[in-house]
Amino acid sequence: MRRLDRSLRWAVFAVAAFVMNFPVLATLITAFKSPGEVSRNPSLWIESPTLENFVAVLTVSDRLNVYHYLWNSLTAALIGALLPMVLVFPIAWAMARRGTGRALLFPLVVNLRALPLIIFAIPLYLLYAAIGLLDTRLGLGLILAIVNLPLAFMLTLNAVSDIPLELEEAARVDGAGLGYMLRRVVLPLCRPALITTFIFGFITAWNEFLFGLMLTTRDAVPITVGASFFFATSGGGVQWGMAAAVMIVAALPPLLLGLVMYRRIAGSLVAGAVKG
Amino acid sequence: MAGQERRENAILAAPLVLFLLALLGFPVVLSLVYGFSETSFTTLASPRFNGVENFRTVLTDPAFWKAVWFSLRFAVITALLQCLFGLALAVYLAPLIRDHGWMVAVLILPMIVAPAMMGLMYRLVLHEFAGPVPHYLYAWFGSSPAFLSPQNVFSTVVVAETLQWTPFAFLLFLTAYQSIPNDLREATAVDGAGPWERFRRVELPLMAPTIAVALFIRFIDGFRVFDNIYTLVGAGPGGATTSMSIYIYEAFLRQGDIGRAMAAAILLFGASFVLLAIAQRRLGRRP
Repeated sequence: MRRLDRSLRWAVFAVAAFVMNFPVLATLITAFKSPGEVSRNPSLWIESPTLENFVAVLTVSDRLNVYHYLWNSLTAALIGALLPMVLVFPIAWAMARRGTGRALLFPLVVNLRALPLIIFAIPLYLLYAAIGLLDTRLGLGLILAIVNLPLAFMLTLNAVSDIPLELEEAARVDGAGLGYMLRRVVLPLCRPALITTFIFGFITAWNEFLFGLMLTTRDAVPITVGASFFFATSGGGVQWGMAAAVMIVAALPPLLLGLVMYRRIAGSLVAGAVKG
Repeated sequence: MAGQERRENAILAAPLVLFLLALLGFPVVLSLVYGFSETSFTTLASPRFNGVENFRTVLTDPAFWKAVWFSLRFAVITALLQCLFGLALAVYLAPLIRDHGWMVAVLILPMIVAPAMMGLMYRLVLHEFAGPVPHYLYAWFGSSPAFLSPQNVFSTVVVAETLQWTPFAFLLFLTAYQSIPNDLREATAVDGAGPWERFRRVELPLMAPTIAVALFIRFIDGFRVFDNIYTLVGAGPGGATTSMSIYIYEAFLRQGDIGRAMAAAILLFGASFVLLAIAQRRLGRRP
């Protein structure tokens, strides 16, 4: 490739990366400006960087308790990421080896991915109100599990299908029962796929907003919804520095996971799209 | 033996089936009951059957049709834009990415951010006094448009959605592009065809199925959009950005009209179902 051609491609990359990541970048910069500077200097240049906003956001206050939101998000996202894996693993094996549920169950679950979530939100709201799951971390986690089911099913099915039959047969010949064989042979061989499923599910669940908005009010509010409270103008208008800082705090866990694991995430996104 | 295997299969399927019945089966029955009843939050326990009344209300509500039109337009435009930019970026940057894999991480970063957070970030970025975008537009051009005004708000949310999800199309296309065997490319090089000709005659046809899948996924996600629009502008000035999802949400929680919200949700479900069935037949991807 000629030098000029190559530099042109680098330039296109730089512009695309800058424009697409601009909101994140600008928010990051704003988060390090003092309240006085935010109102005086909206440019991308920080005159005197400060951690003031982060300190303010992370100082426990009764009205906006960020630790509480983070804890809610963490618990609900863990349930939302782990539960689908537990539910899907046995049936994925049965489907890969015996075709169980291939005709009805699999298309049903996979197509959930394409349905608007609001359809489930209202009946679940009424159900939760009746059985006392409204505004609980468990309730939120259960719904996030529905969101993660389709991809968990696809990724686990792919992984189980890839296991050589001989390994399972060898274990069976040695007299291992089905449960033992699933736990000791199939599960360990699926580990890489399960890790990917977990990371992807955790990010999806952490980032979810609609269910958090509808099904929680106080006790189980996740950070995505809690962060939006900082934009509620109470008297003096939005404190942009603090709002920026809380957004960075909210976006950081998925971003860090994403940067470290981008290969896995990219791979599972593609697998989910192509197989689904 | 066959009997034992059947028992085993039932046990293996049980966790998932029970979960689906409890969290989806029951609500589906519930939504049908409420969809055909007159219900508000005060009469939850005793829904009064009123036949197709809720559906009539929804179908004669101009705001509902405005929301349908918004969602369709939004979904089509954003899906096309994302696939266009995604394709251009994937093909043009592929030679660099071959040597520098980390570029992918930088480009897919936006879609790892929660859409709700992205909407909030745009509120900051576009803010008249605190936002850098109006700041630089004023500095360089002397004026800045009102991004959230009734005339501009549609373009604003389209751009925001496109910039966040172009990476998704890019990623699918990059994978498809990289999997094209090199001897196919070399064959056209022997013909003396240039890179543009090669793209049009070899690469584009081979990527066509992926493009169809990407268009469909992005259309579906655009059609049900909620988070980023809701956190950026809510229902929008005069309901200008009320998507189907936002319409249902507002009917339910703001206006407390459960029957109407459910009827609209059932209609949305039906529409999605039909779209899905058509797409799967068309794309020929039987799971």
